[in-house]
This record gives sequence, C-alpha cells and structure tokens, in this order.
Amino acid sequence: MASPTRAQVLSLYGNLLRASNSFYSYNFREYFVRNTRQRFRAHQSEADSARIKALYEDGLRELNVIRQAAAMNRLYAGPRLVVEKSGTPPSPYEGGKAGEGGGDAS
Amino acid sequence: MLSRSLLSRSLARNAKRASGTLSQARRTFVQPSAVDKANIVGTPASVDDSLFTPRQDMLGFKLEAVKSTEKNRPIYLDMQATTPMDPRVLAAMMPYFTDMYGNPHSRTHAYGWEAEQAVDDARAQVAKLIGADAKDIVFTSGATESNNMIVKGVARFHKEKKKHVITTQTEHKCVLDSCRKLSEEGFDITYLPVQSNGVIDLAELEAAIRPGETSLVSIMMVNNETGVIQPIEEIGAMLRKYRGVYFHTDAAQAVGKIPINVDEMNIDLLSISGHKVYGPKGVGAAYVRRRPRVRLEPILSGGGQERGLRSGTLPTPLIVGLGEACSIALREMDADHARVKALSDRLIKGVTARVEHVVRNGDVNGYPGCVNLSFSYVEGESLLMALKEIALSSGSACTSASLEPSYVLRALGAAEDMAHSSLRFGIGRFTTEAEIDFVIERIVGTVSKLRDMSPLWEMVQEGIDLSTINWSQH
Ligand SMILES: Cc1ncc(COP(=O)(O)O)c(C=O)c1O
Repeated sequence: MASPTRAQVLSLYGNLLRASNSFYSYNFREYFVRNTRQRFRAHQSEADSARIKALYEDGLRELNVIRQAAAMNRLYAGPRLVVEKSGTPPSPYEGGKAGEGGGDAS
Repeated sequence: MLSRSLLSRSLARNAKRASGTLSQARRTFVQPSAVDKANIVGTPASVDDSLFTPRQDMLGFKLEAVKSTEKNRPIYLDMQATTPMDPRVLAAMMPYFTDMYGNPHSRTHAYGWEAEQAVDDARAQVAKLIGADAKDIVFTSGATESNNMIVKGVARFHKEKKKHVITTQTEHKCVLDSCRKLSEEGFDITYLPVQSNGVIDLAELEAAIRPGETSLVSIMMVNNETGVIQPIEEIGAMLRKYRGVYFHTDAAQAVGKIPINVDEMNIDLLSISGHKVYGPKGVGAAYVRRRPRVRLEPILSGGGQERGLRSGTLPTPLIVGLGEACSIALREMDADHARVKALSDRLIKGVTARVEHVVRNGDVNGYPGCVNLSFSYVEGESLLMALKEIALSSGSACTSASLEPSYVLRALGAAEDMAHSSLRFGIGRFTTEAEIDFVIERIVGTVSKLRDMSPLWEMVQEGIDLSTINWSQH
C-alpha cells in the first residue's frame, strides 16, 4: 500500500472518533474519544512517509477493534452514571442493534 | 433513549391508572385519613417516592433505607479493588470464547494448535511488560494463587536447610496468611515493620536476613491501600549479596502502572493479577526465574502443565485477555500515568483546599492512582454511607466488611481514629475530570455536614486542643 492521502487520514480520524463516540459506557466513550484526539494531534506534523503509513495501518486495525468493542459494549447498556448529563444521548447509535449503526461510511 | 422513553410511557400509564383507582388513597398533610386505611393502602405509584424516602443528605436518618435501585449508577473510584476490563481486551478474548475453543495442550489437531499459539503469544506479551523471558511466566488464577504458590512453594522446597522467611507488616492478606500457614508448619517468619510513610527500612531488612537460613524475602511493590511504592530495585541489589535468598515481590498493584524490569530489579519471583491491569478476573501470572533457577514445590499436582508448577488446563480466553491487557498497558503506560497523576493532584488539591484537617496516608511519592485520605473527626463508615453516589472503599476491599481499622494504616503508625476515618480513592485509565470534580464537591459537602454534627469538631472549633496529632503532610 502506498502512503495514505490526507483525505484518507482525515477519514480514518473521523471514523475513529465516531466509533469511540458509540460506546454506551461513559468512561469508555470519554477515554477513547480523548485518546483518538491526542494520538492524531501528537502525530499531526509527521513528515516521514514510512512512519505515516505505519501509523495509518495501526489506526485501521484500531478502528476495527474499537468498532467491535463498542458494539459489544452497547449490547449490555446499563443505567447512566451520576455524572452524566441526563437527557443528552451521547451517541446516535444508542438502543440500536449491535453491528448496525456502529459502523459508518467507508 | 429507547429504554428511557419506554419508561416514561409506562410511568404515564401507571399514573393514569393510579389516578383512577387510587386517587382516594392519596393523602395530603391537610387531609388526615383514618389510621386503618393508612395502614392498608400504601403509596400509590403516581406519588414520587423521594417525598418519603430520606435523601442521602438527610444525615441522621437510617441511610440503608435509601433505595439501591437509584436511577443512576455511582461513579467508580475503587481501582485497587478491581479495574474495569478494557473493552479492547474483551474484543481480543471473544474468539476464544466462541469458535476457537481448543485445549491448548492438545497436540494432535488444529484446535489445540491455535489455542496453544494464542497462549504463547499472551505469555510473550506478559513477559514483555516486566522485562522477562516468556518461558519464565506461569499462568495462574490470580495474584492470590501466585502469592500462595510462591511463598509456600519456595519455603517448603528449601525446608530441610532453611526455615526462615521475611515479609512486611503491610503485605496483602494472601501473603500474610500464607506466612501464617508456614509458621504453623514450623517456619520462622519475620514481619518487618514499616516507617511512618509506609516504606521499609533497608538496613532493618538487611539486619533481619539470616544467611544460610533465610530462603525467601517477600515484599510487595505497590501497596493496595496506600499506594506506597517500596524501593524494589535497592532491595534487589542488596539481596544479591546473599546467595540462596530469593526475592519475591507481589506486583499485583504495580504491573502496567509503573515500569518493571525483573532483571534490573533483581527480582526472582513476581505475582501478577489480571483484574488489576484492566484484564479479566480469574487469571494471573507468576514470574519464576529459570536462570539462575528458582525452585519451588508446586501446590497442585496433575498433568504437569506450566513447567509442572501449575497443573490444570489453561483458560485460553482469560489468558488471551491478560496478554492483551499487558500489551495495552505497556503501550499506554506513560500516557496513563501522566493522566492519573494529573487527576490525583486535582483531587488532592481540590479536597485539601476546601477541607481542613485532612491527612494523606502513606508516602507522597507513592503511586498517584491510590490516594488514601483521613478526615479527622469523621467516621469513615458514615462518610462512605453518605457518599452513596461514589463507589469507594475504606481500607482494602477484603477488610472493609469488618469495622476493624486497617492493619496497613496501623502499621504506618496512624492513630486508631485516623485509621477509622480514612477513605481510599482509586483513580485509573478511565477516570474523568468530571468524576473527580464531582467527588470533590461531594466530599467537601459531606465532611462539613458530618463535622457539624460532631461534638469533637465543635470543641476543635472552640479552640480546645484535643491531641498532638501531626495534622498534615502538606
Ligand atoms: C497487592 C495485592 N496482592 C494480591 C491481590 C489478590 O489478587 P487476585 O484477586 O488476583 O487474587 C490483590 C488484590 O486484592 C492485591 O491488591
């Protein structure tokens, strides 16, 4: 595979954020969203194309894992935590079946 | 969303039904009803229960009466008792809970081979986290089993010549109880005291060694109640001078949280627990050095799996989970540690800025994810009761059922009342700032309310000197 384009990287970023946001559990959702942001920012100005390619491939693998993990997490949704703002659904997928909704375009 | 809208719909239905049949039963304060009726008819479903049930902040009521089926779950700050399993770990385990069910010890078919491969991979992942050789890892059911196997195993193997074991007063119960068992079998055990910051004195340890007689020194790396970190590297270097004295460390609370290297630290044996590193419960590992070889008498006899040290079929899914958890921990240790430290500082600053007479128990340079605070003039148990929205522990999880003050805090020299008024805050990978801020608010409010009811506190406010306790380390 050639080095990913800027559009591909941005699409991966969006997909990772969406997948992270689809966790039902507050703590996991917060963690993965934060983690995704931090990791993309940390490598924002990466210039080495081999390194970019390796990071991109890691990201694709991670995306698969997070989608699976979030889908399972939504299957066993429990009561909300006391710190969560009630009435604001954190993800558009809540209540949906696992598998559907967890994924997204691309 | 779905469940919430269902709920509100059924509530509305209930309310309609109730207003039809039970509206007469509804009493207000200005309409006293006959006593017999009041006894028969309970509260109709349409009436908000919270009007009758004492709220948590109504101290002085029986707090147990607060319904446990509250709308919201408490936040979790008890990471030393157990950590939530990382969802990536579950994703890694699922194939071995479903289609890949082979016995890793089956040598004759692909089902066995794929399971064996998974176990080998996990063994390498665990080994890498502690800088060990994969062949030196023995899978067990958890740190309790690892500690039992190691402490009893090493002592019993050498019992003909050496009958002395050294440990500390602040070890986990499973080490202390294994030692108690050994002393019943005729071994001599030295329980080293700790200094007031919870750290052992190296000179005292060295003085306790009986060359030719001591077979094992067992000292935990991170304490589960106070977060105190023992100087394992220095201990290991010192023990090298004494041949034949093996060094074991219970690293259940340290693995994946602080850097460990068994070679640099001269560790011969080490215990790991899966459910303290965001892995599954019911699995753990023991590191048992092969070069130079450390010998121990196995507790379980059987098929001779795991170098004969731990017979029994390996639980492939759990082991895969432990491996994945270790691999994630290694990758994210620095980021996790920085974050846990920031949250820990935020909690300590937030609480001490607004509450007087708070003492931090244990060395301030301990693991930041374990913050043990004592609130003077407040009962730890009443504090816990009033903080129902926060899952916390006073003392360690295994002892919190009893009302005895923690033996760990006592060993640090804490006065009995301070040991009684301590809370342990466990911060981890998935803790958020919002949770910490929530805790600070609740602690500040509850402590001041409880103190307002305390006669001791009143005396302190009037300037009466109650004792000469060193109030604060800050
Ligand atoms: C220091 C320490 N050792 C051992 C254990 C026991 O571990 P496990 O639950 O894996 O048996 C714990 C956990 O409670 C611990 O904190």
